[in-house]
Amino acid sequence: MHRVLHLLAALVLATLLAGTATGAERNLRVAVLDSSPGMAFRDANGELTGFTIGIIRALCEEMRVQCTLLVTTLDSVIEDTASGEFDIAGVSLLETPERRAKVIFAKPYFRSISLWFARPGVQPGAAGIRVSVVRGSAQDRFARSRGWETVGVLTNNELSEPLQAGLAQAAIIPMATALGMMKKEEFRRLGLVSSVMSEPELGGDAAFAISPRRPELKEQMDAALERIRRNGTYDRINSLFLPFRVN
Amino acid sequence: MISQLRGLKQVHAGRAFGLLAAIFVLILGVMVALVALDQQRVLEATARLQEETVPEIIRYQRLARNLEQLRQEGERVFAAATPQARQQAMFVVTLVASHPSVLEHKAAAELAQQVETFLGDAMRQMTAGARDSGPVYEEWQRLAERVGLMVDDVSIQGINLATNDLSYVAEAMRLARYKLTAALIVAGLFLAMFVALIRIHLIYPLQRIDRALSTLSVDRPAPEFEPSTMVEIQSVEAAIGELHASLMENEAARHALEKLANRDGLTGLINRRHFMQTADAELMRAQRYERPVTIGMADLDCFKNLNDTYGHAVGDTVLRAFAELVQEVLRQSDLVCRYGGEEFAFLFPESSLDEAQRLAERLRSRCAEYDIRIPDGRLVRVTLSMGLADASDCPIETALRRADEALYQAKRLGRNRVELAAPVEAV
Repeated sequence: MHRVLHLLAALVLATLLAGTATGAERNLRVAVLDSSPGMAFRDANGELTGFTIGIIRALCEEMRVQCTLLVTTLDSVIEDTASGEFDIAGVSLLETPERRAKVIFAKPYFRSISLWFARPGVQPGAAGIRVSVVRGSAQDRFARSRGWETVGVLTNNELSEPLQAGLAQAAIIPMATALGMMKKEEFRRLGLVSSVMSEPELGGDAAFAISPRRPELKEQMDAALERIRRNGTYDRINSLFLPFRVN
Repeated sequence: MISQLRGLKQVHAGRAFGLLAAIFVLILGVMVALVALDQQRVLEATARLQEETVPEIIRYQRLARNLEQLRQEGERVFAAATPQARQQAMFVVTLVASHPSVLEHKAAAELAQQVETFLGDAMRQMTAGARDSGPVYEEWQRLAERVGLMVDDVSIQGINLATNDLSYVAEAMRLARYKLTAALIVAGLFLAMFVALIRIHLIYPLQRIDRALSTLSVDRPAPEFEPSTMVEIQSVEAAIGELHASLMENEAARHALEKLANRDGLTGLINRRHFMQTADAELMRAQRYERPVTIGMADLDCFKNLNDTYGHAVGDTVLRAFAELVQEVLRQSDLVCRYGGEEFAFLFPESSLDEAQRLAERLRSRCAEYDIRIPDGRLVRVTLSMGLADASDCPIETALRRADEALYQAKRLGRNRVELAAPVEAV
């Protein structure tokens, strides 16, 4: 009898502890960017918005967790997620072997391509050409692996700056950012032409990353993503920020 | 199955019906398993629909949406008010045509590539300026029409994926329904057969046994049963046969006992007690219907001398011989008993005093000349004295007393004679 009571008491205690523990887990720190046009940027009121922001908010709602969006930059997001400073990297990341070794990738939430922007006739890899890339991006990694000279910037938004300043003659720009830039007069005035880069490491699946300290989040996130794909939330966000289906 | 059972000589009902039930359960189990298999197929198909087909359909819808977007952006390339807008539209065309969602569908990818090339050329022409864009736009419209058709095709392809899964499910369900119906029919047939077999092999035999038991009697022959297949029924029927046999034995024993109780051990004639019972009843009957009836008392003459001369064994022999003679001479309906010692009582139904006298005289005379062989081989004769009294109007005791008085009279008048008691009025 006593043993049963003890067991019951232990169970109640365990439940209470689990309850508080879950309460703590209910709040997630999510790293986001705020200067990727179309994907993650600030609107006229300074509020974070964009396709990636929309998706990450929808996922948090679907997982019934409180998410705190913390703005960071691409060059540090992987390290900080790996160290557990962020639970989730709410940034569209192409899977590379280095990244996969440090963080857990959720299921891809859209498919991207990268574009080569340069003056007409300037081919990728041409001699004496400096390429503008976001530091820490897959494009950065690709350009350096080819031995190209690069000019690194912190955010997607800044990609055009080295071009405008004449520091770079070309840029490798992800699809969504390119869409945003093409809308800007000063970028168009540069007179660059774009071509799709078909190298596999520059396109394909883009996903959020999860801290290796929170492996249980992967299953929840994947299930939530599947649900918002089916219930139409995903499509509404897609239509809101991008001109075609990027899934 | 029934004829097979009939073909067998001996079957344990418990085992036979147990076996039938086991076969039934087995067959039903197999059919249920088959139905369950179909259910499993349905579950798998719906799971596949959920997990594989629906995402696939979503992909087709998305592709259709992107192709439609491609067509719209193409329109925009022609309709754009500014070169910037045109450039922007062309840029989206490039992105859509290169996006993995389009590239993964071969026909769509080819068409999108064609659209991109066509629009690229058209744009260069338009940027070069001057020329009338009419024929190019007409060509674009034909191309746009093809894109529109492709949108329809892709949509339908997606929907058809679900149709395939659903028809697979429907097929499995239909199959399951047939199997279920078959299982129900088999169960019904089996139950019907079970009931029929129980009726034939258990209920009908039990009813026969019930009838046989309720009419079982020593007056009837032992009941005959149709040969039954079931061992249990056979043994009950055999037991009924044995029961009937023991009833018969008991009846025979009862008869023997009754005889022992009612007969005189030496002569085999009825004894005095039985005579009194029977004679009383006969007298009552005669008096009720006003029929004549006569009572007689007889005594072997000088029997004491015979006993003294030859011994009791000879006396017994004589008594037995006399009893035989009496039964031989008298009518079947006449009652006679050994009343005691060498004394005998008679009842002559339907006989007046005169008629009884004639009978008595015949007995007396036959007795007088009847040679009786005694054990040592010699022959002896005995005579008989007898008194008769009319009993049609008085109790048995009175009639016996009066017959006894007449017997006494006969003795007194010299023995070997029959005397009649005087009529009652004269007494």
